[in-house]
Amino acid sequence: MSAGTSALPLVGRDRIIGYGLMVVAVLCVVGPFAWILMSSFKHQIAILTGAWSFTPTWSNYAEVLFGRRSDFVGNVRNSAVVASVSTVLVLVVGTLAAYSLHRFRWARWVTTGFLGWTLIFHMIPALTLVGPWYIAFRELGWYDTLGGLILTHVTMNLPMTVWLMMAFFSEIPPEIEEAARVDGCSPLEAFRYVALPLAVPGLIAAGILAFIFSWNEFSIALNLTARDTATVPVAIARFAQQYEVQHSQMAAAAVISTIPALLLMALGQRFIVRGLTLGSVK
Amino acid sequence: MQTMKRLLAATAILAASVVAGIPVQAQQPFAAVGAQPPITILVNSSPWYAGFEKAVELYEKQTGNKVKLDVTPYGGMLEKARNAVRGARSPYDLINLDTQWTIEFYEGGFLSPLKDVDAAFDLPKEVLSYGDSGYWNADKRWRTPQGGKLMAWPPNGNVLLYVYREDLLKAAGIAPPKTWEDVLASCAKLQDPGKMYGMVMRGERGNGIRFDWMYFMLGKGATVVRDPAAGDYTVTINSPQARAALDLYLDVAKRCGPPNAGALGQGDLIQLISTGKAAQGMVVSAAWSNFDDANKSAVVGKIAAVAVPQPAGGKPAALLGNWNMAIPKNIPDAQKQAAIAFSRWFLTSGAQRVYAEAGAIPVREDTFRSDLAQNPKFRWMPAYLEMQKYATQELGYAEGAQVEQILGLRLNQALIGELSSGKALNLAAKEIEELFKKSGRRTGALPPLPE
Amino acid sequence: MHILNRWFKHWSLLPAVLLFLLLTIYPMANLVRMSVSTITFAGGAAHWAWTPLANLQLLTNDAVLGAAALNTAIFVVVSVAIEMALGLALALLVARLSRGKGLARTVMVLPILVPAVAIGSMWKLMYNYDFGVFNQALTAIGFGPVNWLGSTSVALLAVILVDIWHWTPFVFLILFAAVEGVPTDVIEAARIDGATPRQITWRIIIPLLKPALAVALIFRSILAFKTFDEVFLLTSGGPGTSTELVSLHLYKVFFEQNQLGYGAMLSLAIIIAIVAFLLVSRRALTLRAMA
Repeated sequence: MSAGTSALPLVGRDRIIGYGLMVVAVLCVVGPFAWILMSSFKHQIAILTGAWSFTPTWSNYAEVLFGRRSDFVGNVRNSAVVASVSTVLVLVVGTLAAYSLHRFRWARWVTTGFLGWTLIFHMIPALTLVGPWYIAFRELGWYDTLGGLILTHVTMNLPMTVWLMMAFFSEIPPEIEEAARVDGCSPLEAFRYVALPLAVPGLIAAGILAFIFSWNEFSIALNLTARDTATVPVAIARFAQQYEVQHSQMAAAAVISTIPALLLMALGQRFIVRGLTLGSVK
Repeated sequence: MQTMKRLLAATAILAASVVAGIPVQAQQPFAAVGAQPPITILVNSSPWYAGFEKAVELYEKQTGNKVKLDVTPYGGMLEKARNAVRGARSPYDLINLDTQWTIEFYEGGFLSPLKDVDAAFDLPKEVLSYGDSGYWNADKRWRTPQGGKLMAWPPNGNVLLYVYREDLLKAAGIAPPKTWEDVLASCAKLQDPGKMYGMVMRGERGNGIRFDWMYFMLGKGATVVRDPAAGDYTVTINSPQARAALDLYLDVAKRCGPPNAGALGQGDLIQLISTGKAAQGMVVSAAWSNFDDANKSAVVGKIAAVAVPQPAGGKPAALLGNWNMAIPKNIPDAQKQAAIAFSRWFLTSGAQRVYAEAGAIPVREDTFRSDLAQNPKFRWMPAYLEMQKYATQELGYAEGAQVEQILGLRLNQALIGELSSGKALNLAAKEIEELFKKSGRRTGALPPLPE
Repeated sequence: MHILNRWFKHWSLLPAVLLFLLLTIYPMANLVRMSVSTITFAGGAAHWAWTPLANLQLLTNDAVLGAAALNTAIFVVVSVAIEMALGLALALLVARLSRGKGLARTVMVLPILVPAVAIGSMWKLMYNYDFGVFNQALTAIGFGPVNWLGSTSVALLAVILVDIWHWTPFVFLILFAAVEGVPTDVIEAARIDGATPRQITWRIIIPLLKPALAVALIFRSILAFKTFDEVFLLTSGGPGTSTELVSLHLYKVFFEQNQLGYGAMLSLAIIIAIVAFLLVSRRALTLRAMA
């Protein structure tokens, strides 16, 4: 159904060049990450000297996961909850909003107003948002709760999700939607069984990005959480101390934090693909 | 008769045991604080946190009072402290403030003076004064105990230590330097570009270069403003002495440091010394624990510390920084009492000893002079204590953060060669003077230096 | 169900509007209010004074702002241009692979998955003059070490390189999803008509990607203007002012110096600059597309 698989494969010389370039790209992308991985098994002195031969150690992982000062497992759990829930919420709210703006005739001022407002909001530095949100959340009793943090993440990711989904909905050929309307599909059915399945790649992209931004979000998480609700970026930032960075533990923490994120994203992808393409009508 | 003797004997034994019991009690170096509600402390994640945590655990065990520690990355401390005090009720009962943030909190009226919470509270006389940074005189807008109220107590203080490789200096026949001229002479022998740097210090833009350079500035007798305690904010940063200090700093950086001297931060210094690529350096006291840790250093046991050198013929001078624990105003009285109780307990010699043994820098002089100093792990203590005698605080005014940024930029530009030393100081002086004019201080300027 | 369908148009937009109303009005209004005020703290409370002109004057007299604006402009234009080009090329390439697409996408996601603070610290180590990987490699080949983060001429490029590594996957993800969404029948028809892969790519696929390209460009640019964590850790604006970006300067003004009023005005100025940038680039790109 999708373009790349069958439509335009690489052949012959292009194929070799293509795979070659791919290998180069992967190496460039993965290289620094592999370096972080290697550092996570080194003692600090080996990292500082940039040594290539060293005695590997598990102590960094042990300290991050089980150290007395560290609550990393709890932080990962918090991040997992916040990122997953906020991603689901933002996808639901954002996709519905995007579809509404795309499919139905709204007054010009509504579309431009809403889209412009989300974009302007996206431009505001998080630094200036923290103060008002902190005060508001303290009043409402949402300080130091995961729910409060989830709401702020949904709000911050909404602009990008809405714009992205609008772009992907506009890719759907209007004839298909016309056909659905002619066939007597109710708007809800047209959305659920026609538009959504066709926008699955977009949902995956928007979902991945929303998840990653929520997972890595630091400023708001720092100020709206305390010890029990702290998320992974806050925990990792503890290794960047006033006078030096504890590279070995930070590397271990960074590696550990990518694993649940990758797992959750893989699960999410499968859910979206399976759940939405089921029963789609072409 | 028999019963009488037995009664007397029994009384004697009882009396003896009571008398014997008292001296044991008097030797107890802690404080009795009574039952208190649980408190939450905002504290930063740092090398000395392990010591703090140990002390807190002991407090909980001894007194049965609960303490919750919100360990925050350094970069988030100021924001959390500000949010806490600006809201309706602070989630923290004790907040830890770095020296340069204290003025903002003192002037903003966010804190409860410690004696207002407990009139009997006082800093024990053994606690180092750290330039009286815990006192605030609201009329003079200056940190001084004369006419000032005690707002905070120091959990940790920092002064730069001059560390050097004992083995390298001994092999080259150099004595630990006492003056900067000695340092330059030692670099002539030790500097081997690419393999060994003679002496490294911070040069990175901002707080790094400002703090390290001020050792040179104070050593040459120069100041930023003329007499802030008396309200005279005439800018004196572009005096001939300050220029001499900057030229000396630049000379040392060029002859003893690496090509990227303008980008060196504290982490880089620690890295260069720990890996054995620098023979000498000026580092924060907190960095010491890295050098003797086999996992973090290739030069375990080879590092020694002395006081930071002075320019020849100058009066000894050094710069201080310290953390300050304060009580926010917007918490209930019972919490304030609990916070004061913990504070009183923490400053006792017993607590400080536990604190120091677990790797933190104590704040009581008697802890420094105790048998701890014999332990080779604490061989930096004599140098630290010596410098405390003459070290001072700088930038103790509300505009401090902006002054630091101005100086931090211009000094760095002089180091990387964008500006001459005269031009850098002149520019800084002009900007600082404008700053003081805008905030309504009594200010003026010196004639500009030749550029 | 009937109500759901009848008012679908409205209730599908409602949650987003509600959420935004609830959570964004207060911060945005607060920002505007702060920008025309000077806020001082005394007696434990904040005192607001109406000082729009004073703030404006601070803006125009800011010694560092000019350099920061220039650096940010260079940073944004160069990074975004390279990231868009690379992201597009990779998206098209991966879309045409017959196997390993899922793996490629997972691998490409890794850079944005690592927290910014870890990226800044790790790259700082890699750029380290004495012990960093890059200088190790250079000296091994025979060149001398490069002063990556300590030389005014190289530092900004070093920062840009980190940004490219960090954010190209962002563009890639969006464009890859868009390429995946291109209907196969259009491509099939073109192939039957005898078009070469290059023609198909340039004449059919890329034009269809326009909405996605626009979104990627807009959001990547906005994020580029807001870049903070990596630069803060790598160079903190130095050496001199060579890597000072407006977001760093804003942090220093708003946060370190606690100048809330001027800081808010600076944020508004940045937002206006971003809007101007987006409008200009849209004009420039549509003009090129028509040519």
